[in-house]
Amino acid sequence: MRTLPEESHDEVRLRHDLNDLLARVARPGRYVGGEFHTRHKPGASPRIVLSYPDVYEIGIANTGLQILYAGLNDATPAAAERAYCPWPDMALVMRARGVPLWSLESGAPVRDAQLWGFTLQHELTYTNILEMLDLAGVPLHAEERDEADPIVLGGGPGTANPLPLAPFFDAFFIGEAEGRLAEIVAALAAPTRAQRLRALGAVPGIFLPHEPQATGGDGRVRRQVFMGFSQTPPVTAPLVPLIEGVHDRVVIEVMRGCSAGCRFCQAGMWYRPVRERPAAMVVEAAAQALKATGCDEVSLISLSSCDYGGVREAVAGIRARFPQVRVSLPSLRVDSAAVVLARLGDEQRGSVTLAPEAGTQGLRDAINKRVDEETFGAAVRGVFGAGYSGLKLYFMVGLPGETDDDVAAIAALASSALSHAKAAAPGRARVSLAVSSFVPKAHSAFERAGFAGESVIRHRQELLRALLARPLKVRFHDVETSLVEATMAMGGREVGRLIEAAWRAGARFDGWSESFDAAIWRRAAAEVDIELGGPAWDRAETLPWLPVDSLVHDAFLREEAARAVRAEITDDCRDGTCTSCGVCSGEIEMDLVR
Amino acid sequence: MSWWLVSFGRGGPARYISHLDTIRVVQRTFARADIEFALTQGMRPKPRLSLPLALPTGAAALDELAVVEVAGETQEAALGMHLVALRAAVADGFTIERLVMAGERPRPQAVAAAYQCRLRVPCADVRGALEWFVDAPSVSVVRASPKGRKAVELKEHVCELSASPRDADTMLAFTLRYGPSGSARVDEVVTALADRLGIEPLVLDLTRLGVTWKGLPSRLLAAAGEIAPGGDAAGKGDDWQ
Repeated sequence: MRTLPEESHDEVRLRHDLNDLLARVARPGRYVGGEFHTRHKPGASPRIVLSYPDVYEIGIANTGLQILYAGLNDATPAAAERAYCPWPDMALVMRARGVPLWSLESGAPVRDAQLWGFTLQHELTYTNILEMLDLAGVPLHAEERDEADPIVLGGGPGTANPLPLAPFFDAFFIGEAEGRLAEIVAALAAPTRAQRLRALGAVPGIFLPHEPQATGGDGRVRRQVFMGFSQTPPVTAPLVPLIEGVHDRVVIEVMRGCSAGCRFCQAGMWYRPVRERPAAMVVEAAAQALKATGCDEVSLISLSSCDYGGVREAVAGIRARFPQVRVSLPSLRVDSAAVVLARLGDEQRGSVTLAPEAGTQGLRDAINKRVDEETFGAAVRGVFGAGYSGLKLYFMVGLPGETDDDVAAIAALASSALSHAKAAAPGRARVSLAVSSFVPKAHSAFERAGFAGESVIRHRQELLRALLARPLKVRFHDVETSLVEATMAMGGREVGRLIEAAWRAGARFDGWSESFDAAIWRRAAAEVDIELGGPAWDRAETLPWLPVDSLVHDAFLREEAARAVRAEITDDCRDGTCTSCGVCSGEIEMDLVR
Repeated sequence: MSWWLVSFGRGGPARYISHLDTIRVVQRTFARADIEFALTQGMRPKPRLSLPLALPTGAAALDELAVVEVAGETQEAALGMHLVALRAAVADGFTIERLVMAGERPRPQAVAAAYQCRLRVPCADVRGALEWFVDAPSVSVVRASPKGRKAVELKEHVCELSASPRDADTMLAFTLRYGPSGSARVDEVVTALADRLGIEPLVLDLTRLGVTWKGLPSRLLAAAGEIAPGGDAAGKGDDWQ
């Protein structure tokens, strides 16, 4: 078993070269660490590197990585360090000078770690993973790695369908890892890489895509649910960057899981069952984190924070102790009570976002978004009545069963919102729309639905643009990025060849509009003979992500898809009616604040 | 409300952050130390905090100045306690050197600042380039910005140039003067010399050794850690020649 070397040859060279590298790149603060609450554990073993495969400013704001970083460093013998994806200017000078990717805490090469964990948050970061492996000097393909290389492990929501990344990963953790960190660290104590992999394979939730593995009777790897969530306080000493990240606020996860049952939503199925933290714990954690970070805003995050049972008590509790602190509630429910609640927490913000998602009642019923026009109208009036001057509306196009009439109804709904806004706040009201393209995701009710296709999405976008009256402003999600996202979301192992071909042709930072190059992806798709927007499999047959057991029964998802066709609503199981999704069983059950 | 002068240093990873990020770190440090800023008036109140001379990204600093107004009246006797709290709250790489009350709002203006950086070339070569710089009637660079391009005469702004060997490299020291016409930038000085030396214009291991201020009452000058060009009042500029 290796321990962290006091000073390896590479480390010396890194230190020597670092100043030189940093003098040549934009925003050098991305590459040096030094954040508030950085954990340094020199000599600790095993050494684990955690990575979010995007630029530092994005990655540092990721809550999942903060949880794992604190959990590994504070509660296990391991030293958890971090590396983010170098921006292309840095990648260029690293390659020119042969400097391998280093971790921010020790400055040691990432490739010397025993375990390298990646957060798989969304598909458009996947080429960055290959970029990081290459910059680190770690072979891209799992089968090419040897004793000197770290075990490359993927985790996060992307493991709902890890197959496109299988060629590049030694292992995946399926589900929530907080409860399994000690077992993962213990597995790394085995003397050889092969033995470490085997030991990891015995940890519940670990999926080894290249190794035979003992699993349940059906051969699938069960998603892990952290049932200690409600009893475990959130991270109160998070990393606080010295350079500006995408968020500058305390983040308190108040609830995990969502029972609303929106049929397009992967997270709503993937994180079941709902577990809530007591409001008193939330308030105390917010107090500690505000003190520790010096922030002046708390965000109470979850998939639907207004559904959190302790939301009023938590917001009021934080505002009572810290009147000057803003309390924000992302993912606002579409109703007037939610709007009032948002205003209670944050009197300063000028705009609010609501997500009706579809224009007609029929399509909203089909996607199980339980919002009628009366509720929507009341919410809009509530927005401007509460003093907000801006309203952003989220919609999707390309939903299963969608027609041009549904899209035309988006324009009508937006116009009615504008009328409400003008009546409530004449002269100052602003209404805008953000319209994304529906991409089917594994383990959602629409996992077999298929992507609408480039021409359909473009047609619907043009139709909506033509129908929207001024001064409504609309921003559409780029069709070509959706096409690539859909290919990866729905693909199997074969899509790994596409990702690699695109990366070799220069694809990086595909989630960034200034970096995404559709031509690269089209050429790569032609080269590996994969149709963008797929899927490459027959929807009636086995799904590529079958090895992953999300705990949600396949029969439930099929029934939900059938109910969508009939535009039938499925109730929120939080309200007492079990929908038999299959998740709650044995120790796994809803854990609500009452 | 009370005005304070805070002198601080930075090094290690903290040297690589920008001026705005440095302001944010100072702001956060005060919040972590439970010291409340006075706020500006208006729709979006901001903390009354300024760093009168921006530090270049990449520069370590021995003695920088922050001017802050804190809420409430500060007792002189409590300053020591506040200093301890700030030192406990500051990020790795930053040091809080001194803290003094300023009475009236201080309006310090930088007159000169002393810098040093490393050039990857033997000292004898750099000394030759410095002789050229001193003897040349004019050394100008073109500064491009979104507002356009303008010529900057370095000789108006740069003085006290010296070189000393550091391993196989050279530590270059110089002072930039600040006046109504502005000043030169560190990278412009290095670029001019690098062009002369035929080397890549990289600013390496940059340190701002100290700043000379005007607009501060004499009792505050020492608190601001002022050093005279050519001197080392703070006793920290080991490489200062």
